[in-house]
Amino acid sequence: MKLNEMTISELSEMLRKRRCSATEILSDVKDRINETEGKIGAYISINDKAENSARKVDEAFAKGEELHPLAGIPVAVKDNISTRGLRTTCASKMLYNYIPPYNATVIDRLEKNSSVIIGKTNMDEFAMGSSTENSFFHITRNPHNTDYVSGGSSGGSSAAVAADEAIAALGSDTGGSVRQPASFCGTVGLKPTYGRVSRYGLIAFASSLEQIGTITKSVKDSAILLGAIAGYDRMDSTSSRISFPDYASNLNASVKGLRVGIAEEYFSDTVDDEVKNAVYSAIKELEANAAETVSISLAAKEFSISSYYIIASAEASSNLARYDGVKYGYRSKDYDGLTDMYEKTRSEGFGDEVKRRIMLGTFVLSSGYYEDYYRKAKLMQRKITAEFSDAFRKCDVIATPTTPTTAFRIGENTEDILKMYGSDVCTVAANIAGIPAISVPCGKNAMGLPIGLQLMGDRFAEQTLLNAAYGYERICGGFREVK
Amino acid sequence: MKDYEICIGLEVHAELNTQSKMYCSCPNLFGGEPNTRVCPVCIGLPGALPTLNETAVDYAVKMGHALKCTINKVSRQDRKNYFYPDLPKAYQISQADIPLCEKGHLEIITEKCSKTIGITRIHIEEDAGKLLHDSSCNDSLVDYNRCGVPLIEIVTEPDLRSSEEAYLFLNTIKNTLKYIGISDCKMQEGSIRCDVNVSVREKGTDELGTRCEMKNVNSFSAAVRGIEYEAKRQIEVLEAGGKILQETRRWDDVKGMSFVMRTKEDAQDYRFFPEPDLGWIVLEEERINMLKDTLPELPNEKLLRYTKIHGLPFTDASLLVEGLEKSRFYDECIALERCTSKNICNWILGDISKYINDTGSSLYDTPLTADKLVKLVYEVEKGTISNSAAKKVLGVIFDEGGEPDEIIERLGLVQNSDTESLKKLVDEVIKANEKSVNDYRNGKTNAMGYIVGQCMKASKGSANPAIVRELVAEILNER
Amino acid sequence: MDVKHIAKLARLKIEDDKIADFERDMEKIVAMIDGLPDNERDILTENVNPMSLREDRAVTDKFTRDELLANSPKVQSGCFAVPKTVE
Repeated sequence: MKLNEMTISELSEMLRKRRCSATEILSDVKDRINETEGKIGAYISINDKAENSARKVDEAFAKGEELHPLAGIPVAVKDNISTRGLRTTCASKMLYNYIPPYNATVIDRLEKNSSVIIGKTNMDEFAMGSSTENSFFHITRNPHNTDYVSGGSSGGSSAAVAADEAIAALGSDTGGSVRQPASFCGTVGLKPTYGRVSRYGLIAFASSLEQIGTITKSVKDSAILLGAIAGYDRMDSTSSRISFPDYASNLNASVKGLRVGIAEEYFSDTVDDEVKNAVYSAIKELEANAAETVSISLAAKEFSISSYYIIASAEASSNLARYDGVKYGYRSKDYDGLTDMYEKTRSEGFGDEVKRRIMLGTFVLSSGYYEDYYRKAKLMQRKITAEFSDAFRKCDVIATPTTPTTAFRIGENTEDILKMYGSDVCTVAANIAGIPAISVPCGKNAMGLPIGLQLMGDRFAEQTLLNAAYGYERICGGFREVK
Repeated sequence: MKDYEICIGLEVHAELNTQSKMYCSCPNLFGGEPNTRVCPVCIGLPGALPTLNETAVDYAVKMGHALKCTINKVSRQDRKNYFYPDLPKAYQISQADIPLCEKGHLEIITEKCSKTIGITRIHIEEDAGKLLHDSSCNDSLVDYNRCGVPLIEIVTEPDLRSSEEAYLFLNTIKNTLKYIGISDCKMQEGSIRCDVNVSVREKGTDELGTRCEMKNVNSFSAAVRGIEYEAKRQIEVLEAGGKILQETRRWDDVKGMSFVMRTKEDAQDYRFFPEPDLGWIVLEEERINMLKDTLPELPNEKLLRYTKIHGLPFTDASLLVEGLEKSRFYDECIALERCTSKNICNWILGDISKYINDTGSSLYDTPLTADKLVKLVYEVEKGTISNSAAKKVLGVIFDEGGEPDEIIERLGLVQNSDTESLKKLVDEVIKANEKSVNDYRNGKTNAMGYIVGQCMKASKGSANPAIVRELVAEILNER
Repeated sequence: MDVKHIAKLARLKIEDDKIADFERDMEKIVAMIDGLPDNERDILTENVNPMSLREDRAVTDKFTRDELLANSPKVQSGCFAVPKTVE
C-alpha cells in the first residue's frame, strides 16, 4: 500500500515509529496528483511550500520532538479558506488572483500542529452549487466514475481524498456542501455544530449557516482533524466557548443502547430505492448490534429547502457585495464611471449561479418583500430548530440518507436548477438548526457509485455522533476499499 | 402670508473616543497617512469578521442614561446595504429594529424657559472611510483609516421649532458628550455631524408637514443656516400653491443652499437584516446600573444649580457650563466655602479665561489652583488688597507660581486700612487742595474724585480707596 | 420578479439576450420558496446567545499598508483608486 492511500491515524503511527517520513508521504501524494489530477481536477492551486513544511516536520521528529497526530500529514484545503500567501479564489473569476495577507484561524491551527497544506481544492463558485460544475476553473470529476460529478460545493476536497490525492481535507458546509460530496465520493464528511469551528478567514457565503468541516477516509481521522481545528476563537463572535472532549481518544465503537431516530419524512418518494435500501440496511446492522431505533417526526422538513434558499441567498447578496473591483480581485477592463465599473466588474466576475443567488437574496430583502420571505424563513428556522430539540429528547442520533440520489452525470442537472437544489433536501436542515451531522459510506448502487448514510446529532454532541459513526464503521469492517 | 411653524428633527452622529475601532482592534485616531490604520476587518477582506468593542457599548449606554433613555437589555446589530467606495464591505453595521437605547428626552434651557425634546433612539454603528478628490488625477482615492471608527447616532423626535432651538439642542448634546467623556467633540475633525429633517406646517395644525432630510451638515452654525434656508424654501413653495416633495437634499454651506440628492421615488433600498456575524448584545442589569452610577453631574443639572442655588446670572452660568474645566475649577473653589460665588465666577470668566484663551493652555496646566484663587479673592473681599493688586498677583502666579499671601507680601500690595493714619493723610491732602475743596462746596461734585485720587497718590497707592473715600466725604460734607 | 430592478440594486448588469433566461429561472426559484407558512412569533422563542465583547485595546502594525493594498486592481498614493465620484 502506498503512503498516500493510508489514513491520518496510520501515518501518524508510522511517523512516530520512523517507518516513513513526512517527505515520503508528501512525495507519494504528489506522485498520485501527477498521475490522476488530469482526470479528476480536484485542485485549483498546489502549495509550493509544502516540501518545506514536510522537511521541517522530519527535522522535528529527528530531534525527538513530541508532535500532534496531524504533523506531517498532507491536508487539502477548500479554496474558500484563506491561506496567507497562497492564492484563494473561491473558484471565481472575481478572485482569480487574490492572495490573502492573513490565515484563516483553522489554517493557523493546522500549521501550529505542523500539518502540511498540500493545495487548494476546487469547488462551486463561492460554494454555490452541488456538483463542482460551477467552478470558473474546471469541473471536478468523481473518482469512482469520471463521467459523474463529485458533488459540491466541496467536490474538490472530497474527490482529492477519495482519489488519494490528499490524506484528508477541509471543506465548508452551508447546506450540505461537505456531506453531499462525501456521500457522492464515498468519503467521511463531517459538518460540526454551528460555532464549534471558527469561521474567521472562511470566505463567507451564508454566515449564519456555514461551518468548516472535515473530509476524511475514516471516522477516527474526522475526530483527529476536528479536534485540531475546533474551539473558541476571539476573532469569530459566533464561535462557541463550550468546551469539548478529545474526540479521537474518546472514540467508542459500541452502539449498544444507542437510540437511533428514524424520521419517515427523510425516506419519501423522492429518494432513490437503492439509496433507501442501503440506508435501511445500515440501520438494521446498527440494530443487530444492540442499537435501538426510535420513530420521530420532523414535519417541518418540507419547508427546509425554502427557508434555506431564502436565508442563504439573503446573506450571500450582502456578503458578496464587497466584490466591486476596488480592494481585491477582478476589475473590468473597460468602464465609464463608478456605477459602470461596479456593474461590469460584478457581471463579468461572477458566474450565472452566483448572480441568481445574489438576485434572489436581494429580492427577498428588498422593500416590500422582507416580511413575506426573510421574516417567515427566520421563523421557520426557529420551528425547525425546535423540532430537532424535541427529537433529541427521544434519540441520540438521527439516521437519514445524505442525498436522495447517488452522484449524477456531469451536465445532467445543470439545466434544471430546481433538481440541482433538490440534492440538498436531506442536508440543509442540519445547517438551519445548527446541529452537527456526518455522512459515512453505506454501500454502492448498481452502477458502483457510493451511497451515504447521514447521522445528525444534538448541538455540540459531536462525540456522540462520531461514536455512532465509528460504531457503524467497525460493523462494516472499515470504509476502505480496493482502488 | 399664513403663519407657519417649523418642525425639526435631528440625527446626530458622534464619534466615540475609544482606544480601538468598533469592530477591530485598529487604533481609533484621527487622520494619519492614508490606509495605515487598517486591517483585514475594517478594509473588508474576504473572510474577515467583526468583533464588537465593549467600551463602545458602555459609552452608548452612558449616553442613553444621560438622555434618560430606556436601555434595552437585549439588542442586536443589522446590516445596512449600499454600494459606495468609502464602504468597503458594501454594508454598514448599524442597529435597525432594536437599538441599545430608546425613548429618552433632553431639556434645552434658556434664560426664560426650558423645553423637553424627545429622543427617539440612540444606536451604535461604524463610520465609513474618506474619499479624496485631487484635481490632478482622474480617479478618486479611498482612505479607509476612518472605517470602523465607533459612532453613536442620536435621533430626536421632530420637537424642535426653530434654528435657535436646534442650535441649543446640539450644544447641549455636545456638552453632555464632553461631560461624560465619551467623545472628543472636535468639530473641525468631524467628530460630531448631523442630518437635519425639516418640515413646515400652518400654526395650529397637529399633523406634520412633508419633511425633507438634509445631509452634509458639518457644523452647528451650518445647521442653523441650513434649517433657515430649508424652512424658507418650503414656505415659499407652499405660499406659491406648491407641494413639498419628500426628498433627501445636500446642504452646501459655501453656497448657502441645499440641492436635491434623491427624491422619494429613487430612495435607497438598504435591505436591512440582522448581522449574522454578530450575536445578541446582552447587558446585565448590574452593568446597566453601574454605568448609570458613573455619570457625572450633567450640563443641565449644573446650569440649574448655578442659577437657582448659587444665584449666578444665566449668561455667566452658561459660560461656566460650556467649559468643562472652568466649571470644574469653579466648583472646586466653591467647595472651599470662603468667597462669594459671583466673585469667583467673575475671576474665572474674566482674567483667568483671558489668560487661558491668550496662551491656549489648559487651566489645569497652569500653576493656579482653586486653593490659590480662593485665597486671593478672599484677600480682596476682606479688603487686604485692591482689585488691581489682585490682578497683579494672579499674573505672577501664572508666570512664576507661588502662594498669594507670599506674593502680596513680597510686592508690598497690602492696603492701608487703618482709619487713624488715613485720617491724617486725608487732612493733609485737603489742606493742600483748598481750591478743590471750594469747588466741591460750590457744587462741582467731581472735585471729590480728584481729592480722593490725590490721597491715593500721596499713599503711593497703598491706601484702601473705600476708606479714603469715606473719610474725604465726611470732611467735605461736615463743614 | 423585476429582474432588471433587482439586478440594478445588486449592481449587476444582465445582458439583454440573457434577461429572459434569468427571468424564467428566477420565477422558478421564487415559486419554490413561495408559500412559507407564517409561524407565530410568540410560540417560538428565539435562542439568545449572549456574545462576548472585545476588550477595547488598540493593536498597531499588524499589517503593512503594502500588504493590504497588494491585491487592489488600482492603487495610487497609498490609496485605492476608483473612478471619480464627484465632478
